[in-house]
Amino acid sequence: MSQPKTIRVLFVLLSIGASLLATSVLVLLVGENPIEVFGHIWQGAFRNSEATAGVFNFWIPLALCSMGLIITFTAGLWNIGVEGQIVAGALAASWAARTFVLPNEIQIPLELLLATAGGALWGLLIGILKIRFGVHEIFGGVGLNAIISVYSIYLIAGPWQPPEGGSAQATQPFSDYALLHPMSSQFPVSLFTLILTFAAIIAVYLLLRGTRWGLQLKATGKNAKSALLLGVPTTRTTLTALMACGMLAGVAGAYRVLFTYDSLRPNVSGGIGFLGLLLVLLTGMNALWTPIVAFIFAAILSGSTRLRVSLQLDSSLAGVLQGILVLSMLLFNGLRQRLFERRRASAAPPASPLDVQPLVSDSKAASGE
Amino acid sequence: MIRRLILCMTVSVLLLLAVAPLAAQEEFVFGVILVGPESDHGWSQAHFEAGHYVEASIPGARMVFFPSLNPADAPETTLHDVVQNMVDEGAQVVFTTSDAFEEDTATVAAAFPDVTFINVSGDDVLTGEAPPNVGNVMGQIEWMKLVAGCAAGLTTETGNIGYLGPLINGETRRLAASAYLGARFCYELDGGNPEDLTFTVTWIGFWFNIPGVTLDPTAETNTFFDSGADVVISGIDTPEVIQIAAQRAANGENVFAVPYDYREACAQGPEVCLGVPFFNWGPDYVRIVQLVQSGGWMPSWDWQEPDWSDINNPDTSAVGFLPGDALGENADTLNQFIADLAGYATNPFVPDSFALWSGPLSLQDGAELAAQGQLVEILDVWYLPQLLDGMVGASE
Amino acid sequence: MNLELQHINKTFGKVRANQDISLTLRGGQIVGILGENGAGKSTLMKILSGYQPADSGEILIDGSPLRAGNPLKAIEAGIGMLQQDPLDVSPFTVLENFVYGQVQGRRLSNREAAKRIREQADSFGFDLDPDQVVSRLSIGQRQQLEIMRLLNLGIKALILDEPTTGISSEQKDVLFAALRDLAVRDSLIVLLVSHKLEDVIALCDEVVVLRGGKLVGSKQMPATTAELVELMFGQALTPQARENVTLGDTALRLDGVTLRDKRVAVEKFTLDVRHGEVIGFAGLDGSGQELILRACAGLVRPSAGHILLNGQDLTGKRYRAFRANGVVFSSAGRVEEGLISGLTLTEHLVLTQTGAIIDWAAQRGRTEGQIERFYVRGAPESQIQQLSGGNQQRFLMALLPDQPSILALEQPTRGLDVDSARYIWEQLLARRKEGAAILFTSPDLDEVVAYSDRIIVCFAGRTYEITNTAGMTIDQLGRLIGGAVA
Repeated sequence: MSQPKTIRVLFVLLSIGASLLATSVLVLLVGENPIEVFGHIWQGAFRNSEATAGVFNFWIPLALCSMGLIITFTAGLWNIGVEGQIVAGALAASWAARTFVLPNEIQIPLELLLATAGGALWGLLIGILKIRFGVHEIFGGVGLNAIISVYSIYLIAGPWQPPEGGSAQATQPFSDYALLHPMSSQFPVSLFTLILTFAAIIAVYLLLRGTRWGLQLKATGKNAKSALLLGVPTTRTTLTALMACGMLAGVAGAYRVLFTYDSLRPNVSGGIGFLGLLLVLLTGMNALWTPIVAFIFAAILSGSTRLRVSLQLDSSLAGVLQGILVLSMLLFNGLRQRLFERRRASAAPPASPLDVQPLVSDSKAASGE
Repeated sequence: MIRRLILCMTVSVLLLLAVAPLAAQEEFVFGVILVGPESDHGWSQAHFEAGHYVEASIPGARMVFFPSLNPADAPETTLHDVVQNMVDEGAQVVFTTSDAFEEDTATVAAAFPDVTFINVSGDDVLTGEAPPNVGNVMGQIEWMKLVAGCAAGLTTETGNIGYLGPLINGETRRLAASAYLGARFCYELDGGNPEDLTFTVTWIGFWFNIPGVTLDPTAETNTFFDSGADVVISGIDTPEVIQIAAQRAANGENVFAVPYDYREACAQGPEVCLGVPFFNWGPDYVRIVQLVQSGGWMPSWDWQEPDWSDINNPDTSAVGFLPGDALGENADTLNQFIADLAGYATNPFVPDSFALWSGPLSLQDGAELAAQGQLVEILDVWYLPQLLDGMVGASE
Repeated sequence: MNLELQHINKTFGKVRANQDISLTLRGGQIVGILGENGAGKSTLMKILSGYQPADSGEILIDGSPLRAGNPLKAIEAGIGMLQQDPLDVSPFTVLENFVYGQVQGRRLSNREAAKRIREQADSFGFDLDPDQVVSRLSIGQRQQLEIMRLLNLGIKALILDEPTTGISSEQKDVLFAALRDLAVRDSLIVLLVSHKLEDVIALCDEVVVLRGGKLVGSKQMPATTAELVELMFGQALTPQARENVTLGDTALRLDGVTLRDKRVAVEKFTLDVRHGEVIGFAGLDGSGQELILRACAGLVRPSAGHILLNGQDLTGKRYRAFRANGVVFSSAGRVEEGLISGLTLTEHLVLTQTGAIIDWAAQRGRTEGQIERFYVRGAPESQIQQLSGGNQQRFLMALLPDQPSILALEQPTRGLDVDSARYIWEQLLARRKEGAAILFTSPDLDEVVAYSDRIIVCFAGRTYEITNTAGMTIDQLGRLIGGAVA
């Protein structure tokens, strides 16, 4: 099963190269200089420490969600509800930020704790809908996303509106003691959350690799019926996977409101969860590749702000680049499997997104009936 | 030979040295940050075009802009990041063109004290919350909403007018209320009993459609027409209302629309368009940029009146109303109404106030806004707490 | 059509599944492929039918090479395979599976297809209705569907991997007649992969034998069972002697249990099973024996009655509660229910253990021990689906908890050769000596008679208990299964 590392890396680099090439052709077609375009994206992301901080500020929630999604994907669950879990975390953190008046060192952990609880609860609800009521997690997730999103807008426009009257755009900015603080003005990133994110990456990696729970996730994801017969508590595994993902997504949501925006906003999740889904599928649920690829995406997206401002290119170019990158990674991933893995172990299903088929997993099996 | 070469080089170096700073002095970069896309046929496009107007009016002026800055469309970036990028491009003035940016503009302005920020439609200068490098500007579109309401009041045959509002706040309430007052007045002018007029406001929840989050403006417009309204006035940034009206008119229905806030909006359905109230930000942008260039800019809260001598003059008037083809014979009555408004506004003996905003007026909960013969203060209009008595729809 | 295999080689990791295999087949031939489990039969057939590419070697059809590695191409070239675990899509109906499995362009209308299904099912005596949902079918019915679908694709060579597993002897006769007819009339090449020597003897013109991945011999039929066994194993088998075990207390009590599914209902069934007892269930597919077995493990909940395990009432509890009380269930579809494709042997073993943190090195060592103890051909890091059917079954034995109280086993030797089956039973009987009660189903009446202390015959949900197994003949049992008594 162990694929030569060099080949994997080579193919990732190849796919990035190919996508750059394809994008260059597109850029040429619209009459711009591709080198200039990529130069601007690079500058946008890394021209100075403040720009790089912008990349990290997008990467942190993206990486947190992606790591959570690795857990749910491993358990064979399409956790579309991750967006709602982000918002739930953001709401819980906002509530804490508005309610308590404590020293920053106590307030922040409290807010994050509540955010994990909020995200976990929203994940748990999906699991309960699935197991008790047979609602597939995709439908449950979409529904719960809508509910929490509408509820957050209600709070912003209603009970939590700023005293001078609501414009439905944001709550009153939270007080300084309730906010995450940047480590420096040159590199405005929250150190605490950055460390937390790295810890989450390592924790997910170790959990999946070296614990019984991680193996139970994998077994449930691949074949819940068999897992149950082998003694895996599949119901509990499904619920805990969703809760674990919700916790990480909740921290991501807290980061959005306690650092990025300083207040609760509508659509605070901003599709980060969906981007995370894409990333995790792209990397084949690899716990080490995912944060790296997440960083590349964060850099491209964050860097494209620069692209839009200075070249005034159509705002969708970054999206196009991202799309091409996804396609070419999938393409090269498939190619690599065709070339190398089939020859090695033909019957072995490759660790590819296509191998993830939680859609057909039987909810009844998971409930032990 | 060599001497000539050296001479040439020296001259060219000197020339370069002389020209380079000259060129640098001439260029003046300003940023425009939009909440929606630059081609939304609405609010954001009007600002975008004002940017072009500045480029055309002031030599050396160059716009940098960023479209669709909101958490859903651009989750990867924030107002701070965008401003940072613009400042790195050399921007000295940044227009943040939404009340969504009001809070962030204040914080970001504190971080860039050398840059002038203009937040459109905010009131931080008025309330004293703004840092010294922030100004507010807004047009008195209320006048044109009176005209829009009048056009609807003159046209309606069913006596049922719909108003498709965005989210609920002071601004949107006062605009809906202005349209109501205009409609009521002109419905009576046309021989109707104002008590019979139904004026319903539906709020979709945001300035434009966000699937799954807001109500669907297309569906809501259809609901209006299905429930008996024959004119729908749009208060949102995107053109669903006129599009639906045009579709239904093509199927033989006798329906009309008043779009909002983009000069060319009637082009989407001239046969149903009663006219459009629009913003014309260009003149104010130019004024502000010139003030900053000359060093004479001071923070202010500007609520700009139209140029009453010609409300549609692109070089002088902050707001305007372009009558639509569908007005038909009511066009003359409407023009007279506009002339009356101009007379009211320019009458030196009338205190600063909006026409038709005079007593007796009550709020929806019955509280009196103005007694018989009393005028409503313009700041009380700005901060209108509820819809007016007689309107159907939510105030909060 | 002439089908030629030339120098086929295939390795999985360290296992050389096929080594330099060459074989020529002519139209109209019915050839049996024999070999013990893991001999490489399935691999060779998968290569031939395009499910796996060979590492080297060539397949020639009428002299021109087939670029395989793709089942569709193989089907286009006229080679179709009936898999041991039928390839169908569970949530869809028989009709839908039948229609979507057809080649594009020649797709039938639903009405025509339904008509054809009914006609062919009639002619084969299959119990298939076009509107049945596949997930509700027995394995036997699913194989019937697959056979019909393949025949309708216009294939010239049909590979059958253990086709008679799960269908009645009557149906088997019908199937074999159809195959012979197809071979004579349409010059169909029939390749029969089977462990059941009597099937091979009944059907084939010729047999080839694989051992350890190599082609070790061939024989023109007719031949006797003894001759074939000798070819396969290099030795003749001796029947196994029954051992007497003293029975313990009541381990399991079904008290007036009523069970239902879409096909069959078992009403008020009562059964006492004592520790050390072996109870065999005989019956055609879907006669109720599967329901009873699953109810014993908490996988089906009774609508009436009680289930007591060692005196404790577990009625309505779930499988996990049963498992916690020493009940182990193993299903007939090993890869669908029981083992997990994509997980290694070590990972399977770890799943049955406790402890939050996994010591992979130690677990790998344990797995190696189990592999050796249960003669599994595979490595700790092999993924389970890389193992042959017999090795998977042996590994299932390795996964059993140490002191099970009840073993409820669906077709425990399904698809295994005689030697492997005997080994499995040795293991099972060893557990029984330790006090485990064994309940099992099997379509193989020999097996039921040979190992059961008591036999429960099921027919359309009704049950008939035979306590005197010694005096029972296969013929008598066969008549009971067909509903002759009751």
